[in-house]
Amino acid sequence: MIKFILCKSILLSSIFCVLLSVAYGQEPTNGMIRSNASYYAFTHATIMVSPGEVITNATLLIKGNEIIKIGKRVLIPNDAVELDCEGRTIIPSFIELSTSIGVQKAKSLKTGQSPQLESMKQGPYYWNEAIHPEIDAAELYQPNDKVNEALIKSGFGFALTHQQDGIVRGKGTFVSLGKSSTHEVMTNWANASYYSFEKGVSRQSYPSSQMGAIALLRQTMYDAIWYKDDSKKELNLSLEAMNNQWNDVSFFSTRSKWEILRAQKIANEFDRTFHYIGSGDEYMIINELTEINSTIVLPINFPKAYDVTNPYVARQIPLSDMKHWEMAPYNPSIIAENNIPFCITYNGHKTAKEFWSHLRKAINHGLSVNDALNALTMQPAKTLGISAITGSIEVGKIASFNLYDGNPFEKDCKLLQSWALGEQTVHAQHLKEDIAGKYNITIENRKFPLAIKSTGKGKWNGTIETYATSSSTLKTDTTKHKAVVILDQEDITLQFTINDSIWSGSVNLQGKINTKLGIFEGNGMIPTGKWVKWYAVKSGKVTSLEKKIKDDFVKDTLAVSWFPNMAYGFDSLPEQLPYVIVHATAWTNEEDGIIEDATVIIEHGKITYCGIDPPTYPKDAEVFNAKGMHVTSGIIDEHSHIAISRGVNESGQAISAEVSIGDVVHPDDINIYRQLSGGVTASQLLHGSANPVGGQSALIKLKWGSTPEEMLIDDAPKFIKFALGENVKQSNWGSYNTARFPQTRMGVEQVYYDGFERAHNYQDALAKYNRGELKTKPRVDLELEVLSEILNSERFISCHSYIQSEINMLMHVADSMGFRINTFTHILEGYKVADKMKAHGAGGSTFADWWAYKFEVNDAIPYNAKMMHDQGIIVAINSDDAEMGRRLNQEAAKTVKYGGMTEEDAWKTVTLNPAKLLHLDDRMGSLKKGKDADVVIWSANPLSVQAQVVSTFVDGVILYDAKRDALLYNRNQQEKARLISKMLDANQQGNKQDFVKKTKGHYHCDTIGEEASLEENTH
Amino acid sequence: MKIILTLIAISILGVSFAQEPTSVLITGGYLHIGNGESIVTGAVGVRDGKIVFAKNALTFTVDEGKWDTIIDVSGKHIYPGFIAPNSTLGLTEIDAVRATKDFDEVGIYNPHVRSQIAFNVESKVMSTVRTNGVLLSQATPRGGVISGTSSIMALDGWNWEDATISMDDGIHLNWPSSMQGGGWWAEPAPKKRNEHYNNRKQEIYDFFEMAKAYSNIRDHEEKDFRLEAMRECFKGDKRVYIHANELQELVDVIAFARELKLKFPVIVGGYDSHLITRQLVDAEIPVMVVRPHSLPENEEDDINHPYRLANLLHEGGVAFCIQNSGGMEAMNTRNLPFLAGTTMSFGLSTEEAIQSITLSPAEIMGIDDNYGSLEKGKSATLFVSDGDALDMRTNNMFLGMINGKFISTRNFQQELYEKYSKKYEK
Repeated sequence: MIKFILCKSILLSSIFCVLLSVAYGQEPTNGMIRSNASYYAFTHATIMVSPGEVITNATLLIKGNEIIKIGKRVLIPNDAVELDCEGRTIIPSFIELSTSIGVQKAKSLKTGQSPQLESMKQGPYYWNEAIHPEIDAAELYQPNDKVNEALIKSGFGFALTHQQDGIVRGKGTFVSLGKSSTHEVMTNWANASYYSFEKGVSRQSYPSSQMGAIALLRQTMYDAIWYKDDSKKELNLSLEAMNNQWNDVSFFSTRSKWEILRAQKIANEFDRTFHYIGSGDEYMIINELTEINSTIVLPINFPKAYDVTNPYVARQIPLSDMKHWEMAPYNPSIIAENNIPFCITYNGHKTAKEFWSHLRKAINHGLSVNDALNALTMQPAKTLGISAITGSIEVGKIASFNLYDGNPFEKDCKLLQSWALGEQTVHAQHLKEDIAGKYNITIENRKFPLAIKSTGKGKWNGTIETYATSSSTLKTDTTKHKAVVILDQEDITLQFTINDSIWSGSVNLQGKINTKLGIFEGNGMIPTGKWVKWYAVKSGKVTSLEKKIKDDFVKDTLAVSWFPNMAYGFDSLPEQLPYVIVHATAWTNEEDGIIEDATVIIEHGKITYCGIDPPTYPKDAEVFNAKGMHVTSGIIDEHSHIAISRGVNESGQAISAEVSIGDVVHPDDINIYRQLSGGVTASQLLHGSANPVGGQSALIKLKWGSTPEEMLIDDAPKFIKFALGENVKQSNWGSYNTARFPQTRMGVEQVYYDGFERAHNYQDALAKYNRGELKTKPRVDLELEVLSEILNSERFISCHSYIQSEINMLMHVADSMGFRINTFTHILEGYKVADKMKAHGAGGSTFADWWAYKFEVNDAIPYNAKMMHDQGIIVAINSDDAEMGRRLNQEAAKTVKYGGMTEEDAWKTVTLNPAKLLHLDDRMGSLKKGKDADVVIWSANPLSVQAQVVSTFVDGVILYDAKRDALLYNRNQQEKARLISKMLDANQQGNKQDFVKKTKGHYHCDTIGEEASLEENTH
Repeated sequence: MKIILTLIAISILGVSFAQEPTSVLITGGYLHIGNGESIVTGAVGVRDGKIVFAKNALTFTVDEGKWDTIIDVSGKHIYPGFIAPNSTLGLTEIDAVRATKDFDEVGIYNPHVRSQIAFNVESKVMSTVRTNGVLLSQATPRGGVISGTSSIMALDGWNWEDATISMDDGIHLNWPSSMQGGGWWAEPAPKKRNEHYNNRKQEIYDFFEMAKAYSNIRDHEEKDFRLEAMRECFKGDKRVYIHANELQELVDVIAFARELKLKFPVIVGGYDSHLITRQLVDAEIPVMVVRPHSLPENEEDDINHPYRLANLLHEGGVAFCIQNSGGMEAMNTRNLPFLAGTTMSFGLSTEEAIQSITLSPAEIMGIDDNYGSLEKGKSATLFVSDGDALDMRTNNMFLGMINGKFISTRNFQQELYEKYSKKYEK
């Protein structure tokens, strides 16, 4: 480190003042201060000053850690050390934003298998171990040269490092990667804090899902706001840290594109800016990203081609994985084309070689060199607000840069030196001249031709020819031998074996090179053991083996992303067009009942006519002759768990009203498409049944190819999941889960009383505050906010329930606490208590015939739906199962068998009745003018076992069509074949990884944690 | 005394004959023989538990004196009892209650473990399956490499002894998975070609070679019960049911059956079997297809593949039947008729769909001499449904008999239905 005294540098610009803080030398020195050169001048260099600006044959002058001058005509001070950089390229040091180098890993506080409900961290910290803004990487940073080396060799000079653990992770620290003491490499330039949805090493039960992580992060932020006001509170170091970091640059680490959109919702709620550490699939949400004013830190550890040499294995590779493999290298260039600010991270690589090969791959896939350089230098500096200090090679900035023996963005070059804060690290010597060529080598008066070829990266190989003259034929044979050629600066080592009539054995030569003259000379040992002199003289050229890396970019026009980018995705989203369906048997679900030869007209996403005397058709309408077919409104599934990311249950607490499935809707679930093929157009995505008060529902339309926000039904009524019975009391969770309250039905009742009592008190406190009777605003409590919505009839309850005792209990609790159960879902003993349900005003959403999967469903009978229906209860048949969800028409038909419902009423159990239960019947559930055009055309009576869906319309858009499905199937197969052959090409170039099969899992009511279940469904 | 029963009498009375009738004529119904044929107005004569004829009622003159019971089922449908192969029905009661599960024994090679004796004829689940027309099942153990030996059972009887239709009909071999690993679709753990696949396969070969050699000697001084249980796979007509799905596995199973000269190999599952129909035909290996009401394995698979697979095998000439193993399978066995029904809209004709749960499973399991179709000389194991039994709306058992004995057309769920209906009668 160059500890120059600043007052000597009077010529400095004002920018340089920033640098004062960089190197004022905190450490006392033992003895005299270290001697250093005043100036270094790098002459005759090609300098990539900043993205887009390259100066050739230029001089760079630095003093200490500062860049003093740069240009073609720079007066070199007499006391400067001059470094001739002819043929070298100087590039600004890269800046890494997503790393944990030098920071120790977080450790779990808990051992053993029993659940941990409370935080084990001692001290005045936040109650949840996944929230630790107080962690400051600066306190943890231990420079580790070995760990830093790969980053340095990749060209990075700075890193913002942080402890990669938890949801609120704490502060990062910005360090120079040079080899110096901790004091010297750590800076105070940038303040940045880190966030994620990952719980990390915390073993605390809460949160157990991504929606829980989202709710927890939001609650923490509300708590921090509450903590900030000046009233007296207990000390909380976490919230203090949170507030101190509120305006820092914030990075949000994500594992998929959808997490970016999820985090952005939080950013908007709190008026904050998050920058995103991406996962490499951002090209799929490009439209959404352009609306976010954030920097995306892109990984470039592109997936390897799968090993597809075994066709049996190749069959198993999902098309989505293959398509992503093809598209991933385009990610940076697509982001760049759309003018989204982005950085590139080294994260995910092990060596500089890997990193550069991927960087060049991105360039070969359309990323410009300028954009690449920008993403590694200027953009990270800008995002951190330190572009006045670093990010380019400009006067006044920090002297951190790298010297290469060429332009590394264009070909495979060697990193010669890195300069960090003005200090040099030498990685390799630059060889200006090429030793490749043909030589005649003379050893002890014997001459042999020698050819040396470059194998790139400063490595060489040689071939030597020897002659043997046969004693019998006198014919001379030439034999070629491989020769080892090692060049270390100017020293050359040559080794080869000779077997002829004179020598037999190894020849080992050592010498110096004089490349200008094309001569090598030195001493060596011949097979006789004698030390001799040798020399070699260049006689000609050989062709180089070195390859030029950058090919001209040609976009593979077949590489396109679908909506969604997987099997059965659309090339482009189908449009909303006017349709007229004629000659159909229409199940209106209205007073008209089932009408023959009906016409249904769809315009602008709405049903504009259903009847037998059609008005004039809309202009340009497509007319669909449905003779012999049936047309109905779309199926609505009251109880579904498809299309959910990372956890259907927040099981960490008995009440988790604060979490919402709406935060984690997952549009890339193939089951959306499969259920469209079964006529489902809308679903309530319910939280699971792991706790008495679960989370909020998402009411969605099955808009295949859309984003989560587009799938959510506009202004949908608010719903929440409650649950009773075995799942809630963890009866079937194994012998460890016996700690969380409640473990009995008795406890379940008390959980409700407790929760709603707290909600009442919360509302009272808010009311008092609003009346001015309380000085400080009560802390925002997301859980109690939601329970209050229930008390205020602003949110409906759908309650998982089986046996009559608990059903009656909950109705008593509701009556006495002042709320109502909207729907009992599952409700398999509803037939025993239908009269009480009716009196309470609850509906029932049940299975057609499921039972015997656990003890509490022993009295479940398939006549349940009919019996509740007879008592005047609105009854729906639901799926709770991705498979059954695509044939709910068959399940509805079972109500005809069991109890004898009429077909019309049976059909309503999967259409109008769930619409009523979800309070969506003003816009869905029947074929009625003005309702949403969620329409299904069936090949036969939809209740028939033989009925198949011909077309499914959602909001007037055909999202499933049997004929198109056949085309999509074929297209999928062709696409897969194309990608397999492309992968085979890649395999032959050595690019392959074993296929990792994603075992299919599905969320059920009782699935715990972020992963889907492969267990049997116990609902 | 002659009883001419009305429809109502049977369904209300259930089984309440003072003495079982020995000769019963069921006439006037739509007769589905089970072999792919049907008679619109048929008649079935039953004497001493056997079918004495099944023919066109219109060309047949009834000699009333010959029958002690005559049942007119005009407008209804007559079917052979449906057969549920590969099922844990009767071996389990409540999925989540371990104490009720009797299908998975400790051990890897358990051919000697027999399901027959664990078969619970009083299973409440069974009573609800029977009333949908499923009258026989193959009680099948699970787990390990060889799960055990199944038996074919009637879904009614005083005890397992008299419920037994075919004792120890076959062993169940779970072929190793060619792909291995774990994880979830949300976050996969490494799953790749099963590195141990060849070893696991070799172990199976070794076991079978050993068992085959053992079977060459009739009486061993020291008996090995495991190997004794394998004897009939080589020397008799004991089936070897090989549970396998992926293409690699299926191809290997065919080779295995050929090399071991298995007499009656059967593939259970066969998700990819439509890709090798020709080889299956040549090897004469039938397939019990994967449950039609299941999801496709892979995202790009035909979304209707499980619905369509039966017909793909039918078109390929492969002997096949429908089975129902999977989630909640005991309870779901009552939906077997609708599994067959679903395949109808994907290519099978009505009679072919019926055959796939009657004669075809009987043939595959080797009980077709007596069961699986309404043909002269076979056991009178049949039922009458008010309407199409493969359609949810119209499957209503009007009467049923197993081996000529009337069975109850009621179950405890109907009783609860009636009990609680009374609550609301005011």
